[in-house]
Amino acid sequence: MNRLFSLKKDYGLLRTYDFRRNSVKFLYLLIYLVGFIVVFVAVFPIIWTILSGFKDLREFVNEPRILPKSYDINKFIETWKLLNFSKFYLNSFIVVIGSIVFAVVGNGLLGYALSKIKPKGYKLIYYLLLWSLMIPTTTSIVPLFINIVRLGLQGSFIPLWLSAGANAFFVILYKNFFDSIPQSIIEAARIDGGGEWSIFFKVVFPLSYPINTVITIFTINSAWSDFLLPYLLLNNTGKETVMVRLFQFRTSVATDVDIIRAVTFSIIPPILLFAFFQRYMMEGMTRGGIKG
Amino acid sequence: MFKRHKKDIAGWIIMAPSIILFVFFLWEPLLASVVMSFYSAKGIRLERFVGFQNYIEVVQHPDFKAAFFNTFLYTFWSLVIGFLVPIILAIIINEIIHFKGFFRVSVYLPNVIPGLAVAIMWLYIYRAGKTGLLNILLGKLGFPPQAWLTKSHLVIPLIVLFMTWRSAGATTLIYLARLQGIDPELYEAATIDGAGIWARLKYITLPQIYNLARTLLILQIIFVFQVLYEPLVLTNGGPNNASTTLMLLVYKYAFEKFDYPKAASISVIIALILLLLTTVYNRLVKVNEE
Repeated sequence: MNRLFSLKKDYGLLRTYDFRRNSVKFLYLLIYLVGFIVVFVAVFPIIWTILSGFKDLREFVNEPRILPKSYDINKFIETWKLLNFSKFYLNSFIVVIGSIVFAVVGNGLLGYALSKIKPKGYKLIYYLLLWSLMIPTTTSIVPLFINIVRLGLQGSFIPLWLSAGANAFFVILYKNFFDSIPQSIIEAARIDGGGEWSIFFKVVFPLSYPINTVITIFTINSAWSDFLLPYLLLNNTGKETVMVRLFQFRTSVATDVDIIRAVTFSIIPPILLFAFFQRYMMEGMTRGGIKG
Repeated sequence: MFKRHKKDIAGWIIMAPSIILFVFFLWEPLLASVVMSFYSAKGIRLERFVGFQNYIEVVQHPDFKAAFFNTFLYTFWSLVIGFLVPIILAIIINEIIHFKGFFRVSVYLPNVIPGLAVAIMWLYIYRAGKTGLLNILLGKLGFPPQAWLTKSHLVIPLIVLFMTWRSAGATTLIYLARLQGIDPELYEAATIDGAGIWARLKYITLPQIYNLARTLLILQIIFVFQVLYEPLVLTNGGPNNASTTLMLLVYKYAFEKFDYPKAASISVIIALILLLLTTVYNRLVKVNEE
């Protein structure tokens, strides 16, 4: 116990010397207690959802228990087969891969031009981008939908891929990153006769590994989670993504346990992604400073 | 001179593909939304200019009043329930010496779960009868099961509660980064001057995050004002329109009634309200600072 309080703490509100007081020790324990309660509240609903998938329908609907009676993974496998989840996983996977390409190349090129080429009038574009961050984009979903229908791209993955290339938040992340690359490197490449395209792909791109990782992870997560646009474009086309399928349960005959297992299928990929790349995700979150 | 010109052209050529995407996905739809709201239409084809007709009809519809007040109620509750939570969490996690990473990761975890999956999860948490998670937990404390989402006065706070559950972690990280950037010497100096813990919190910590909190407040309002699929999935706007929102009206006009101009006119109303709120808020803050 005393070892806990003999630690040095030279940042934040509480300091090493504060811990001499008993009231501060109590406060510190209280902080930990609140911390653990918060962790419980954050994590428990997720764990409960996954555990509930092990219940059978009667158990889930009738018995007020948190833990299932038995743990049989076959229940998950049956639901997977019954709801044909392989197909929806594949569709989501296709959406994710295409989105990554456009998110990295599309937003990267724009960020590069804004940071390193700065052609006449670039500020206008930059301000328009900043504005886009503030203006709610869901409010213009109707005309966007109409744009897509006019081009005959309804029922196709292409609009979803392309939309990843129009992310103002990513462009600004890229621009900030490229600002930290010395202009002299770019000038040197220009003197060597490189065109801007080849400078971007051969010089800047290889240096952009850290930011590309962040953007890729964010894109995977948002493309996997995206629901409204995929629903409007892909509903009843056989190309439904996992999220679209999940929404269809609202009006389907699937049982509660099947739905809750489907929820588990839909949250496992993002959780795995987070488990492997949590540092990048949290870093990107703080660096951007804006809700995704 | 010629070289400068060449560079401009090269720059715009490189920007062109992305700009086209932005025009297609964001900027043109925004303008089209405004234009469309003044027209009548058959499906996606505009027919004739009708002035404010769409706006008048939309506003006079009884659903609008409910959605309008509800949207403000959502915003109100999200400020009551949601705004302070990340600030408190960040201060707490910043003070913790051991397992700091563990707390950070756990708090952020709900943010990586897709919004729709979260909505369905909470549908089961709020489920009526004794097997909803909330009722199971309350049952263990001896409370009878409730049909949570059918209570019209509770439904909005309940929805805001799970929105907070889902998004507080990300905001917490932003505050945490700011807190870690505070110069330790400020605290050191204050302590030497005899400032206690609460004084340090009041005169150093809070002022240092004030500007950030202001920005995040506006972003939160914009975010909550667009609330759509939480009520769509949980209650479909019910019971009796008690949880319907302006965005949900947009969705219903557009994709259930296929009345695109009316949907567009509500979109424009939402955008205008947000613009107004942001401007007023910025003014107020500026006056306070002077």
